[in-house]
Amino acid sequence: MGQIEWAMWANEQALASGLILITGGIVATAGRFTQWYFGAYSIVAGVFVCLLEYPRGKRKKGSTMERWGQKYMTAVVKLFGPFTRNYYVRAVLHLLLSVPAGFLLATILGTACLAIASGIYLLCPAGGCAWRAVDAHRAQAPGAA
Amino acid sequence: MGNWVVNHWFSVLFLVVWLGLNVFLFVDAFLKYEKADKYYYTRKILGSTLACARASALCLNFNSTLILLPVCRNLLSFLRGTCSFCSRTLRKQLDHNLTFHKLVAYMICLHTAIHIIAHLFNFDCYSRSRQATDGSLASILSSLSHDEKKGGSWLNPIQSRNTTVEYVTFTSIAGLTGVIMTIALILMVTSATEFIRRSYFEVFWYTHHLFIFYILGLGIHGIGGIVRGQTEESMNESHPRKCAESFEMWDDRDSHCRRPKFEGHPPESWKWILAPVILYICERILRFYRSQQKVVITKMNKRGFSMEVGQYIFVNCPSISLLEWHPFTLTSAPEEDFFSIHIRAAGDWTENLIRAFEQQYSPIPRIEVDGPFGTASEDVFQYEVAVLVGAGIGVTPFASILKSIWYKFQCADHNLKTKKIYFYWICRETGAFSWFNNLLTSLEQEMEELGKVGFLNYRLFLTGWDSNIVGHAALNFDKATDIVTGLKQKTSFGRPMWDNEFSTIATSHPKSVVGVFLCGPRTLAKSLRKCCHRYSSLDPRKVQFYFNKENF
Repeated sequence: MGQIEWAMWANEQALASGLILITGGIVATAGRFTQWYFGAYSIVAGVFVCLLEYPRGKRKKGSTMERWGQKYMTAVVKLFGPFTRNYYVRAVLHLLLSVPAGFLLATILGTACLAIASGIYLLCPAGGCAWRAVDAHRAQAPGAA
Repeated sequence: MGNWVVNHWFSVLFLVVWLGLNVFLFVDAFLKYEKADKYYYTRKILGSTLACARASALCLNFNSTLILLPVCRNLLSFLRGTCSFCSRTLRKQLDHNLTFHKLVAYMICLHTAIHIIAHLFNFDCYSRSRQATDGSLASILSSLSHDEKKGGSWLNPIQSRNTTVEYVTFTSIAGLTGVIMTIALILMVTSATEFIRRSYFEVFWYTHHLFIFYILGLGIHGIGGIVRGQTEESMNESHPRKCAESFEMWDDRDSHCRRPKFEGHPPESWKWILAPVILYICERILRFYRSQQKVVITKMNKRGFSMEVGQYIFVNCPSISLLEWHPFTLTSAPEEDFFSIHIRAAGDWTENLIRAFEQQYSPIPRIEVDGPFGTASEDVFQYEVAVLVGAGIGVTPFASILKSIWYKFQCADHNLKTKKIYFYWICRETGAFSWFNNLLTSLEQEMEELGKVGFLNYRLFLTGWDSNIVGHAALNFDKATDIVTGLKQKTSFGRPMWDNEFSTIATSHPKSVVGVFLCGPRTLAKSLRKCCHRYSSLDPRKVQFYFNKENF
């Protein structure tokens, strides 16, 4: 278990949560549910989380499979320096973002999932957890051996 | 195109039937809830989203039945064994069990989304009609309270004006189990993406056991009877088509129509999942039982263990990890009195295992074994001509096959259908595979002694070459044995040109059925599959290439 990079799973979970937040938000806003403005918030939060989490960070060991077209977002994510690089900051950010969506039933699933993603990010060992951009040159898949 | 159809017709048919059933069940349930008089009043509050939710629920039940079946390895092995009279095409489908499992999972995710969205609208409708004070039909129906002495003939689960939908969700069984099931499903899906599975297998393996919560939740999800329809008795007394218009007068003494009474739908999910759950429990018990049998290491032996070529086993080492099981191909032949596997260090567990075995002073750790399970390599001897391609560690199933051939020759087994084997071994460098090298050397000698040099045609391709190696090879061109491997067959450098290989084989065997077996990466599978389609003749009597890929 020592070699597991929890951040990689947290990344998948956070991306999924972003999509769930967006979906829940759209349903709440379109259906004009009570307190639907939380739904509108949820859409914005979901889009932000998706954009942040889309570029997969570089694995410590082994090659990293890039997501299709992630290099465009990588440039943006790198701009924010420590705010986006540090996984603990991400964990806290996700936790805070998930709270308002918890007030509406349509988006509460997004809250739960994002909170879980936040928890998984916290499993990273101290001092060893940072998002690093995948280098464009070295991101080629190994050829058939 | 024609070749693709010939090779894949059964898969396509199977998928079409499965999709068709999904569509049929969805539409059938949708129409039932949309048209039936029993739900006339329910629809007055909820609209079409009732039918949406119920239709997706039925599809969820159907797919939840199917999801456990493809992962019952022992059951599938049993089916493969008993179906030896079935055509090759049918048995090949069992190799795609994991693909089907994933497809069913995606369908479950889709229907979960539809179901949740529909119910969100439903809850909102219920909430609004509970809040409404305009004396409309919806508000009167909602006011049928839970306290009635006549056994709770209510319609709206939201009891009072002050109850929020969130409260109802988390205090009703349906709502709570729904949330738990969905979270379990999401966690299972995010930890099962290809990247996570290949890089951190333990995360996938342990998280996927959350399916227990999913199944349990599904079983009790419908207990509360929140989906309400009018009772039979009430419909006979006051049919909705007659009485709905006059709803203001339901309480009048001289009105023909009484207040309608409602009853909950009994839960039916458990009926769908009972059989697969029992099958799966049997599967796990069987795996556990097999794992308890003693395995003697150095040369592994287990009582009652019998294998076929190219099968694989699951291995567990309790001293390293109690719960993890990892698959390994068997490298021994069925004719030998022991079974063997070759393990490459590729992660936590394998590295720990190798380290544990290398300890000189502590006893050898205990090993548990489950299996063997069958995959495509078993079919090698059914083909007249077999093309075997092993890339890197993918050469392991073929070790078993080649050894088995050796033994069959020694016994002069005339039942061997195979007349010719082409074996391609592609790897970066042969250092890690010296054991396989030795096997090939022995086979070479054996072939010579029996005078059957033409039976096995093998080629080795080194993809990790550099100019030094090539220079050396060029200098030693005239030597009888290859300088890299010591084998009579010379090593080639770089990757094989499959077009050339396939056209040569097609020309040499114009009327045969050729089985192509690969254990290796996906890109290679794509090229080989393309070649199989390209070089198979449209005439079924002429040369046909069938592609089989093995993966875990």
